[in-house]
Amino acid sequence: MDSHDRLLAAFLAEELDPAEERRWDEHLLECERCWRVVQEDRAGRQAAQVLRQPAPPGLADRVAFAVEVAAASGARRRSRPPARSRRPGRHGRWLYGRLAGAGVLAAGVAVTLMMVLLPGGNQADAVPAAVAVVARYAQAIPSPGPDQHQAGGRAAPVEVGRPVTVTAGGQRIVLRTWRLGGTEAVVAVSGDPFPMPAHAQGMAGGGMAWSARLGRLGLYCRNGPMSELVAAPVPAAQLAVLAARLPLS
Amino acid sequence: MGADHRVFLEATLPHLDAVWQVARQAAGEGQDAEDLVQETYLRAYAGFGSFRGGSTRAWLAAICLNVARSQARRRRRRPWEASGPALLDVVPWSGGEGAADVADVVIAGLDAEEVSRCLALLPEPQRKCIVLVDVAGYTAREAAEVLGCPRGTVLARVHRGRRRLARLLAEAGVSHGQP
Repeated sequence: MDSHDRLLAAFLAEELDPAEERRWDEHLLECERCWRVVQEDRAGRQAAQVLRQPAPPGLADRVAFAVEVAAASGARRRSRPPARSRRPGRHGRWLYGRLAGAGVLAAGVAVTLMMVLLPGGNQADAVPAAVAVVARYAQAIPSPGPDQHQAGGRAAPVEVGRPVTVTAGGQRIVLRTWRLGGTEAVVAVSGDPFPMPAHAQGMAGGGMAWSARLGRLGLYCRNGPMSELVAAPVPAAQLAVLAARLPLS
Repeated sequence: MGADHRVFLEATLPHLDAVWQVARQAAGEGQDAEDLVQETYLRAYAGFGSFRGGSTRAWLAAICLNVARSQARRRRRRPWEASGPALLDVVPWSGGEGAADVADVVIAGLDAEEVSRCLALLPEPQRKCIVLVDVAGYTAREAAEVLGCPRGTVLARVHRGRRRLARLLAEAGVSHGQP
């Protein structure tokens, strides 16, 4: 690119000072070659801008949720004691003292986070990532009132909010929240089967179905061509009944 | 929850749209742009502690391109490489006779699919610059930060890329019988 072309590029980027720009405007009136170059540049820019497309509506929620889950699980990892500790040299003792103080604080926060991540904090390590993500998402569901455990009588399910898609444990999962009378439930759908947590129970007559309890949450999973995992704050006995009334695939 | 992830989201979510534009163009065959955006944010979050300031959205775009490249490598594909023959060799130079209609043809027949196809035919450096500056709305300085090259180089690549794109589209418009 010679100096003429560099100036032309600067003109197109609207980076020339007013005097230079005026000179280029005058030049373009006389120079057919430069005028065509300018026209092509503008046409190319206009064409490229056709490719702009607003981000999908649920993408911000999906990203925020994925980061939140990563924050919680990262804190869990940090809360584990290191396999071996290194004593600092004289040079770093002051810093070590400060970091140790911060580490105690971080460990405290991490334990809290672990409790927040899953209601049954001590069960967390036995819960596969894909299931943990669904449970974490369902944590936002309010518990139904004492007289609302019948999953809304005959009310039709109503979707709450927008679907959120996440990937966890290498598994792509679409999460939807449904309200059935006074009860809300999360239905997670994935093309891959949800792994069975260590403490889960296989369900009789259900093929690959299983159920589990995580704190106040009941989990009911049906693994077929598409796998569905229902998470709701209802007694275990009501889970299958609730699942039967939700729009599963 | 720790406070840092909220700080991270406050700093980065305003740039989601720009990252989305980059991801859509960077996602190779078999890659989902939304997955790519999510992975970009997760990697960015993991490295947020070592982020030394500068343009946040330039930093996110650089991560997005790296993730796309490494995922594509795993698939043994390269999303930024031209997938077809260099059509430029057969497109007439605009200074020649009969080139006056190039801009008109392009503007008249704009079609996102065709633009996308022609964009994929540009050399990788030009394509990246066009995507960052014209599609995602990055400044030349930010694009230079993303790509690790001088700002003047970005401007030159954008300029060349736009002209090539315009000529490719004009050629496609003519060959498809558009006015």
